[in-house]
Amino acid sequence: MDALLRDHLVSVVVFLPLAGAVLLLLLPRSAASAARNIAFGVSVLDLIVSVPLWTRFLVGVPGFQLRERIDWIPQLGITYNVGLDGISLLLVMLTTVLTPVSLLFSLTHVEKEVRGYSVAFLVLETGMLGSLVALDLALFYVFWEVMLVPMYFIIGIWGGPRRIYASMKFFLFTMSGSLLMFLAILFVAIRHHTATGAWSFALEDLTRMTFTGRVETYLFLAFALAFAIKVPVFPLHTWLPDAHTEAPTAGSIILAGVMLKLGAYGYLRFALPLFPDAAMRFAPWLGVLGVIGVIYGAMVAYAQHDMKRLVAYSSVSHLGLVVIGIGAFTTMSLSGSILQMVNHGLSTGALFLLVGVLYERRHTRELDAYGGIAAVVPVTTALFLIATLSSIGLPGLNGFVGEFTILLGTWLSPHRWWSAAAATGVILSAIYMLTLVQRVFWNPLVVEENRKLTDVRPSEFVAAATLVVLMVWIGVRPNDVLDRIRPAVESLQKSVAARQVALHESARPEISEVRR
Amino acid sequence: MIGPIPLSHVLLASGALFAIGVAGALLRRNAIQIFLSIELMMNAANLALIGYGAALGTQQGQIIVFFVIAIAAAEASVGLAIFVAIFRHTETIDVNKINLLKW
Amino acid sequence: MTFAFHASDWLLLAPELFLTAMGLLLLGLSVALGKTKEDFLAFLATVSVGITGALVAFVATRPERATPILGGAFVVDNFALFFKALVLLSLALTVLASARYVGAAPYPGGEYYALLLFSGVGMLFMASGNNLISIYVALELMALSSYVLAGYFKAEPKSTEAALKYFILGAFSSGVLLYGLSLVYGAGGVMGLPELAKLLASASRSNLLMLGILLILAGLLFKIAAVPFHVWTPDVYEGSPTPVTAFFSVGPKVAAYAILARIFYVAFAKFHADWGFVVALVSAATMVLGNVAALLQSNVKRMLAYSSIANAGYALLGVLGFRTEWGLWGILIYLLAYTFMNFGAFTLIILLESKGYAGESVSDFNGLAKRSMPAAVVMLLFLLSLAGIPPTAGFIGKYYLFTAAMKAGYAWLAILAVVMSAVSLFYYFRIAAAMFFTEGSPAKLKSSYALSAVIAVCAVGTLVIGVVPQPFLEVLKSCVLGR
Repeated sequence: MDALLRDHLVSVVVFLPLAGAVLLLLLPRSAASAARNIAFGVSVLDLIVSVPLWTRFLVGVPGFQLRERIDWIPQLGITYNVGLDGISLLLVMLTTVLTPVSLLFSLTHVEKEVRGYSVAFLVLETGMLGSLVALDLALFYVFWEVMLVPMYFIIGIWGGPRRIYASMKFFLFTMSGSLLMFLAILFVAIRHHTATGAWSFALEDLTRMTFTGRVETYLFLAFALAFAIKVPVFPLHTWLPDAHTEAPTAGSIILAGVMLKLGAYGYLRFALPLFPDAAMRFAPWLGVLGVIGVIYGAMVAYAQHDMKRLVAYSSVSHLGLVVIGIGAFTTMSLSGSILQMVNHGLSTGALFLLVGVLYERRHTRELDAYGGIAAVVPVTTALFLIATLSSIGLPGLNGFVGEFTILLGTWLSPHRWWSAAAATGVILSAIYMLTLVQRVFWNPLVVEENRKLTDVRPSEFVAAATLVVLMVWIGVRPNDVLDRIRPAVESLQKSVAARQVALHESARPEISEVRR
Repeated sequence: MIGPIPLSHVLLASGALFAIGVAGALLRRNAIQIFLSIELMMNAANLALIGYGAALGTQQGQIIVFFVIAIAAAEASVGLAIFVAIFRHTETIDVNKINLLKW
Repeated sequence: MTFAFHASDWLLLAPELFLTAMGLLLLGLSVALGKTKEDFLAFLATVSVGITGALVAFVATRPERATPILGGAFVVDNFALFFKALVLLSLALTVLASARYVGAAPYPGGEYYALLLFSGVGMLFMASGNNLISIYVALELMALSSYVLAGYFKAEPKSTEAALKYFILGAFSSGVLLYGLSLVYGAGGVMGLPELAKLLASASRSNLLMLGILLILAGLLFKIAAVPFHVWTPDVYEGSPTPVTAFFSVGPKVAAYAILARIFYVAFAKFHADWGFVVALVSAATMVLGNVAALLQSNVKRMLAYSSIANAGYALLGVLGFRTEWGLWGILIYLLAYTFMNFGAFTLIILLESKGYAGESVSDFNGLAKRSMPAAVVMLLFLLSLAGIPPTAGFIGKYYLFTAAMKAGYAWLAILAVVMSAVSLFYYFRIAAAMFFTEGSPAKLKSSYALSAVIAVCAVGTLVIGVVPQPFLEVLKSCVLGR
């Protein structure tokens, strides 16, 4: 057992939820409460097991750590090849935190097909964790797809009234993107085989390839499209509000908290190192789309009457900021973007959770149905307020650190005006989020039913408070996180810069070649 | 040359038979007429096989024709049985009127 | 040319001979037993297929199979053995899936199983065919049995109509194929594939030869249901008894791919520039039309018919990629995957079919998850695999086919195939949504041991090839033509 945890810690973290899912399938279908508790227990256990990842991770060391490598399909050069750097470490931790939080919320609020629900969540967790640690493109693609199916069912079975439409839309959008990515992966691997005579899908091998001209552009676009749909970058965001509105609360938390981040993560992990030249050429476009996303998301969010839709559009806006940071490509802006991914996961997760708390009591998410409930549900109000302040970037909370780092980092890049535009978005987010709080919690209490609202239950409180604690922690001690991000970001920038230099020095060969 | 008849004449006749067969199979609407057209196509192939066999001086061509004739006979028996079965239902073997399935 | 017959030739044909004998026995028993003891007949048919499989395994160990047999008419190379195994697999699945269905129908079962076995004999010969004329005869044996199987429910107007359509278009296509054969024969007076390859290597292009090759291609494209020779497929699939449809969608198609690959890889390789272009266009048209038409269907059998047309288009990528070993591997692994996943999906329809034509409309799948969770999950697995989502067999198959296409320089076709796979998600997931997201009839599903076994085999095959493909890929490596 010790050896397992020592040498295969990453694999244990990734596959523990899947093992839990298999265990659940052995239970009778009617054992709802057992299924609920087991699923929650497994996710907590996974969180506990994942803590050593954080402690054993060597801060300040670039490159991947805690690696494992086993041949999977040797004939095709596909390996089970996993490892962590600062970027994946943070998102893995975010995943292992948010999954028990969302399951804890579901403990009291899901009645239908509990066993299936729990299985779907645990499989989803394995899919997300696997995508985050995979260093082999084929393996990554497998996990990436594994992640889609449970979310499709979570939205489609346990969702709201328009759930079938929303789940189909979600599935088809994300799937179409990833199929093109699959073809691009295959193409890169074939080029590698032609050049070296060996099959490999390992990221390290494939990043040694150099692509030029149109080929690189097309390959980059295939990858970028898949990830941009997931983020989602404007104008590919239309699936998101539907998916969020219809998804059950826990599904929204995971969707906003982790799955959207995987788009940005995939871009940083795969698209950038594989096609640095094209990525740099398209970076200005990315930044512009990010700016549009920030402003557009904020304005549409302001116009919403449905709380969940409002938070969903605020995600479009906040992730636009992340995209700007990636497009600017300075050390600081990149670090900020990665930190902001975590921040957004925490704050939006908490917001969806608390909207879910209100919805479970009143069965409506209309802003107008609430108002003046601060006195009725003080604890909910306090938690919601902290999440809101985190989301709009109040100093002392995590959101401020992330946003500020991105804005400053972008200001240091050649694209200063993005920073200005993004700052507008931050101000707009303060407007619509505070309006939301005002209309829900403070305005005069006109709807009589709201007097009978009950405050958070202990389980809901624990779930939300966990996230609040993390918000404060990152807000107060951001360097705990940033120190882990920086080496990863710097090595990313270094590799991109080195390859760009090499590319421009060589006489741009038409056919790709492998640099040893 | 196959005796007094040049190979090209045999091939022309076979090609014409095949063309007539294809046209008949595509244009006719009565199942039996379609089937007869298909038989024409097969016999066009037979004629070409015999012609080539004689011109190239191998017997394979003629031997193959026996196989084809045997298969054509088997096909006829299966086909006619199917026509009878469908006539019992619809009282017609006009393929335009047999349209339970979308076609 | 001399015909050399050896006694050992018959030994190598033991599987075919045995299956023929069992088919005749079943036919005789059917006359004697009529509509009684059908379970026994089904059992007998299953055992026959099993023993034939053992005989194939026995043949695989014989050293004599290195040389072609019966004067070069047949060859028992690894490629042939792979397809024989695949044909027998689909045959065994069909017999098992038919038992309850045929037992409930008012027609004698013995004839049904006999026809299935005869059709199987034809397919086994097709897998080995090494000479255009032996291939043609084998193809006809398979086809004539299939026509009757399509119309087996002769009191059902739909079934006889399917038989009529299948027969007319099938006979037409074999006429076209035959005429193509005669023209190719005219090029040099030989019919054996290796001899043809030798002859054509030094021959120049002639218009008649090209026409011959094209007509042969057209005849074979009909059998695999590629556009524009696909029109029979939806009607025949919808009208035929469902187990027969399941059989049509795998067995004959697999066998047709065997001869398509063998003829074009071995004999006509020299003129690949000419037929390659045609095959590429046909593949593109097949993928597009199959997937787009499937979107519009509300009958699941028709939908799966169009989906199988689309799948034929993907598999043609393997024919195009024949210049690297990936093309052949792609065809083999994809057809193996396809047999499991497609047959599995059709078996689910049989399971739902209680009386008449229920189980055919998408709405019959409503709420299947409530009625039987395992059935719904397994169907989902087949749908995911058909759509090519990892980790399932369909993904591995597509992986090989796309690689083959890209290696052969048909990147545009691979892109089209991927786009079309995305389109296919629409209709596959309509069934998934019906099963999991909607309410349906509360009636319990009635399964039988045989049906459960078929579904289990298909599900395990689909999943295992997807998760641990390595052993299967090792087998593929040895499946080279001529060895």
